Amino acid sequence: MQGVAGVAACSTFLSSRMRAATPPAKAYTPRFFDGAEWDFLLAACDRLIPADENGPGALALDVPRFLDMQMDTPYAHGAQWFMDGPFVQGPDNLGYQLPYDPRTLYRRGIAGMNAHAATRHGRPFASLAPSVQDELLQAAEKGTLAFGDIPSRVFFDQLLANVMEGAFSDPVHGGNTRLGGWVMLGFPGARADFMDWVDRYGAHYPLGSISISGETA
Amino acid sequence: MSWMRLPVAGMIAFLALGIAAARADDDVRERGAYVARTADCEACHTVPGQAPFAGGLEFHLPTGTLYAPNITPDARTGIGRYSEAEFIRAVRQGIRRDGATLYPAMPYPSYARMTDEDLHALYVYFMQGVKPVSHAVVQDGMTWPFSMRWPLAVWRWLFAPNPRDALQQSGARTFPDPLVARGSYLVEGPGHCGACHTPRAVTMQEKALTAVDGTLYLSGGGPVDGWRPVSLRGDNRTGLGRWNEQDIVRFLATGRMPLGAAFGGMTDAIAHGTQHMTPQDQLAIARYLKTLSPLTPMAEGWTYDPTAADALRGGDVSARGARLYVDNCAACHRTDGRAYPTTFPPLAGNPVVMDPTPDSLIRIVLAGNTLRATRQTPSAFVMPGFAARMNDQAVADTVTFIRAAWGNNAPPVSPSDVAAVRRTTTGGAAPASLPLN
Amino acid sequence: MSADARRLRPVDVVIVGGGWAGSIMAKEMTEAGRSVVMLERGADRSTAADGAYPASLDELEANFRYRLFQDLSKNTVTIRNNSQQTALPYRRMSAFLPGEGVGGAGLHWSGVHFRMPPDDLRLRSRVIEKYGRRFIPEGMNLQDYGVTYEELEPFFDKAEKVFGTSGEAYMVDGKVVGNGNVFSPSRSDTFPLPALKDVYTAHLFRKAAAEVGFHPYSLPAANASRQYVNPYGVQMGPCNFCGYCSGYACYMYSKASPNVNILPVLRRHPLFELRPRCHVLRVEKDADGRRATGVTYIDAQGQVFTQPAELVILTAFQFHNVRLMLLSGIGRPYDPVHNEGVVGRNFVYQNVTTSTVWLDPKVETNQYIGAGGGGVAFDDFNSENFDHGPLGFVGGSPVWVNQAGVRAIAAANAGGPPGTPRWGSAWKAGMIDTYRHSLRIDAHGANMAYRDVYLDLDPTWKDAYGQPLLRMTFDWKDNDIRMNRYVVDRIGDVAKAMGARRTHLVRREFGVPFDTRQYQTTHLGGGAVMGEDPQTSALNRYLQSWDVHNVFVIGANAFPQGTGYNPTGMVAALAYWAAHHIRTTYLAQPGPLAG
Repeated sequence: MQGVAGVAACSTFLSSRMRAATPPAKAYTPRFFDGAEWDFLLAACDRLIPADENGPGALALDVPRFLDMQMDTPYAHGAQWFMDGPFVQGPDNLGYQLPYDPRTLYRRGIAGMNAHAATRHGRPFASLAPSVQDELLQAAEKGTLAFGDIPSRVFFDQLLANVMEGAFSDPVHGGNTRLGGWVMLGFPGARADFMDWVDRYGAHYPLGSISISGETA
Repeated sequence: MSWMRLPVAGMIAFLALGIAAARADDDVRERGAYVARTADCEACHTVPGQAPFAGGLEFHLPTGTLYAPNITPDARTGIGRYSEAEFIRAVRQGIRRDGATLYPAMPYPSYARMTDEDLHALYVYFMQGVKPVSHAVVQDGMTWPFSMRWPLAVWRWLFAPNPRDALQQSGARTFPDPLVARGSYLVEGPGHCGACHTPRAVTMQEKALTAVDGTLYLSGGGPVDGWRPVSLRGDNRTGLGRWNEQDIVRFLATGRMPLGAAFGGMTDAIAHGTQHMTPQDQLAIARYLKTLSPLTPMAEGWTYDPTAADALRGGDVSARGARLYVDNCAACHRTDGRAYPTTFPPLAGNPVVMDPTPDSLIRIVLAGNTLRATRQTPSAFVMPGFAARMNDQAVADTVTFIRAAWGNNAPPVSPSDVAAVRRTTTGGAAPASLPLN
Repeated sequence: MSADARRLRPVDVVIVGGGWAGSIMAKEMTEAGRSVVMLERGADRSTAADGAYPASLDELEANFRYRLFQDLSKNTVTIRNNSQQTALPYRRMSAFLPGEGVGGAGLHWSGVHFRMPPDDLRLRSRVIEKYGRRFIPEGMNLQDYGVTYEELEPFFDKAEKVFGTSGEAYMVDGKVVGNGNVFSPSRSDTFPLPALKDVYTAHLFRKAAAEVGFHPYSLPAANASRQYVNPYGVQMGPCNFCGYCSGYACYMYSKASPNVNILPVLRRHPLFELRPRCHVLRVEKDADGRRATGVTYIDAQGQVFTQPAELVILTAFQFHNVRLMLLSGIGRPYDPVHNEGVVGRNFVYQNVTTSTVWLDPKVETNQYIGAGGGGVAFDDFNSENFDHGPLGFVGGSPVWVNQAGVRAIAAANAGGPPGTPRWGSAWKAGMIDTYRHSLRIDAHGANMAYRDVYLDLDPTWKDAYGQPLLRMTFDWKDNDIRMNRYVVDRIGDVAKAMGARRTHLVRREFGVPFDTRQYQTTHLGGGAVMGEDPQTSALNRYLQSWDVHNVFVIGANAFPQGTGYNPTGMVAALAYWAAHHIRTTYLAQPGPLAG
């Protein structure tokens, strides 16, 4: 009789991923963002990826939840960035030179956007009309605003990059709910096998999407 | 020659004799080490990563937990005080030095067939070639009444062959060629293949101990650590009917061949045992196994049926389990079930897949499998477990699809079948023990 | 030796960096019977853990959180466009993505596996022969490698066999044998595996390029087109075009990596020891500085060790090799003012722009299907395959469709055609159309070496161990921009032949400085180049330091100027080439291999 029944299943990496469950979106309470910040994110996400005839928007995809969950990762603490001083500002093409991690960029950026909205329109960002919100986001994107020493474009680029990640990454991270982002694109996800399709030129690929946890759409 | 030279010549002769004797000892020891490989002692008596033969490996049996004893020559905790006769009695008859009977997890009904020469070599090897390790193995945790040793003596008396008879019986058999004779010795004797691959009676003895005992011999065993050892007989679908000699040799040497790959307990048998055998002995085993007739000779043979593959290739995943198969399995095993041997084993026509008992297949899906590196094949391949990704229904559907596609014809599997296997499936190996390629 | 470092038992060879070059050198040195310690700064890695199916198929973790890449928080570089600027730290991964961990970038690369064109190996001589000395622009440090294609051929061949490279040969032993690249030189053997299948976009590109009159061929790919056993006995699975190549460990074991193709054999060799999480601080030298005595490194617990060795082989990433030489005082640092010194000289990059072609909305381009090294290229404007005389620039560029698999976040970031906003409903419509119906064509050009483009140590910023960061001084030059623009125009011709609904040709623009914020390529080169003149090269033609004969430095750092091809095939061949000369000559009689 042989021992060692335990045949290798998977690494901890794998098993944690396959099991990871995100709380249902409706019940989600942000852990990092406070009420005003959360309101801003909900509103901004809805403008950045609106729901329309092409597919779900960032809210249906739970992008705000993704953003809040990301704030608890090493990435958001700047652990993957070189954060040693001195911090010297230079031309844009030499890249990011601020001493702030993503968490700080969000805190200060959202506060800056709301302060600007209050000064200009007397209300926080989330309470403005969509067209006004768009104008403010465009201004931030162009870099015409500044939040202390944070150029608005730096904050906007950070936000937009993370919103895209939330809408189109594997749902294991909290966004892309019901694989809505992938379905909209026609991206099959984590099946990762096209041996039967690689040389069927012009054929429509008929299979839906699948996530790491096995969710299908 | 001057008289002066005589003592020198004598001394040289003496030295030469001494060297010859030492060499003979070395030869015996080496031979004993080889016998230990053929008898696969290490697989049971060694905890992976710890000192060889120091015991302690757990065996979870329905009757309780057994711990393999320390068989290093340590006098206090091992077998250092065994005389050769006591050693041979233990190996062949399952009688401990103190007279108690060993649990038949020790395959002494097979070892009874081992030759005096092999056992002498094995003794020399264990006494001189193995490092003594002081390691007191915990007491067995068998539940009553199995915790009592005396009924074992009765069992032994009833079911274990008398070594002298067994040897005589073997000697009296005729074989088509010496290679088959050698194969018969290895498989029925030290290799103790039947311990796993032959069905056992309710009283736990193997229903057949040799090829001459009938077609139940090596016709597939009961579960071992939850794995179901397949038939090694010539059955076309569920045995080795479609494996040729070279397929079997390749499997014994590397755990991988075009029609399948090793899993479960066989992984250890290959790692510690068969891969170290000489090519001649591997061939002897193959030739002998090919002499075993099918248990059910009238059963229809397997032929490839392209229906399932055609459907999947056309994007039709309407069959039960088809979408699950495409989403979880097809990347490596292909929509045509033929996979990419010898990297990833085929499921089409695989005896394990068509085994009447689906337990092994279910367990592999849940827990995954590691095809370990061998001396000839340095690459290991790891299949992840899908226990976390697939619930019982999903596994049942997937396994049912695999068992019915591509010409396979095994019956469907229910979620409760899966649940039963899942209950006894552990989390799998720690990441640190996974292969590094 | 460092006073506070613990001195370890000496070994024959210490290797710094556990990627392709390190694994090849370790394999070769153990075959030669030498004891080897390989030090790798990052973690140990394996397919089972890092390439687990399907858990590792996570674009966010792989491509946006850089799970397998260098930890910039500990060590990075500073960058500036010219020596008048203050170089600033490269704080976030963007323009280039160096690897880290056992296997190095060889674990998460794509797999395009080229041989160096013969003319590129002696580019200076070739340009002078064809166009005269005055054709070389002022300030361009054009050089020869000091080694010929014929000399390297057996080692290109060996590397392809070890990698299990898929491709179609054009010429073997002087005879045309297949539909390979008509511009490629004769080979001693065909590729070990047939070419990968063309994905749809590559198929369309092949047809159109041929129609225009170019000479398309299958990219040579270290993605196995079927199961394969290499000369070391290790096995690869076949590539199934899963589209998760660059940034990932290949779950199919089909993309060549040190981990899959060499280390399974090396790890069990009794003369080999791998020490992960060991960061080398410097090479130690004896009193007169002519001989290396070993290396000093710091382990994960922060303990400092000195590992004595007879032979020190640096096989870290290109710029880490250069930095280690500068930190250790091996070779004379480059002085751009006087164009003297060699370490840091001829730092080069690659000159890549990607254009996009939109096809009829009925055509689904399935960009998620792909193999990292697969695709179709033409070389009509690469190397010296065309007449540069009337064009007035040095260098060239292969052009290809290399659809390695475009995943969802990348698609979202790519957005729509020019003029489309980056967000909102218009972005959404344009982005979906682009993902579903477009394809990308690269001009994968060479970048020449210039006197004022170089590497040195930064005066301000330091790494986690208190050592100065490496400083890059780099910008695009007019010669290279002209080359890119000329070749990109040819892409326009092909796009037209493909029946493009819309084409966005991306050309490098004059006066636009190198931008560290956008991914370009990780194909950095030079800085410690090989050659036949110790005044212009840090290494001799055997990749041996001119100054410290028991230090060999293997990597793209040895390239005297950039090339249009991906560097890995050349790095692997150079490793086998250097190893061959160490084994056949150096070990028996240690000393300079070139005078």
